[in-house]
Amino acid sequence: MTVDVLIFGPAAAAANTDRAPVSVREPATVRDVLTAIAAQHPGLAFALDGARLAVNQSLASPDTPVQPGDELALISLLGGG
Amino acid sequence: MIVVAIIVEGALTPESQARALAASGLDPRSTRSDGAVGATLRFEGIVRRDEPHPEQRGEPRALLGLEYQTYDPMAQRGLESLARAVAERHGLASIVVWHSRGRVGVGEVSFVLEISAAHRAETLAATASFIDAMKRDVPIWKSPVWA
Repeated sequence: MTVDVLIFGPAAAAANTDRAPVSVREPATVRDVLTAIAAQHPGLAFALDGARLAVNQSLASPDTPVQPGDELALISLLGGG
Repeated sequence: MIVVAIIVEGALTPESQARALAASGLDPRSTRSDGAVGATLRFEGIVRRDEPHPEQRGEPRALLGLEYQTYDPMAQRGLESLARAVAERHGLASIVVWHSRGRVGVGEVSFVLEISAAHRAETLAATASFIDAMKRDVPIWKSPVWA
């Protein structure tokens, strides 16, 4: 399946887009999606060290399953404050 | 215990903070009336005039400001749940956080945390604890707007 991962802040600026389409084999987990981002979007590599994924607006563990239609967001390089 | 978390468009001013707090319907100063509060600590995050520039070996470069982006509604929920967890852990009387979204100019305030508790030690510890966790877990990003 192909899922869109929302990206924000410095990662979005570097990639010049606010979403990254990623192909993963089903059944997929958060870990699979992060691995696929690294492989399919090398321009985002700098943002993946320690990166997490939010699934449907909640931080998810690496083993969390990802379903078609889930809202996915790359949580990295946070800069609140 | 009063917990308030508010995201405000643009720079935080006394007026914009007061307006947003009034809209919440909560008044953290009401916790002082029974005499249990012995300390209030207010932290303000202010946009500096420069930031390290990644394409200039990290040398400082002048800013016009910072652009704050939030992932909504997760950012709002994250600020609220973090504030509640910190308030419970440190036994606070109240915690109010305001955070900017959008452009904030140099010298303007983008983040305010106001914490009240029985003693100063709790307010100091809770302030550090909140800010560390916010920078780690709450989906808010800042991007430099270079001069």
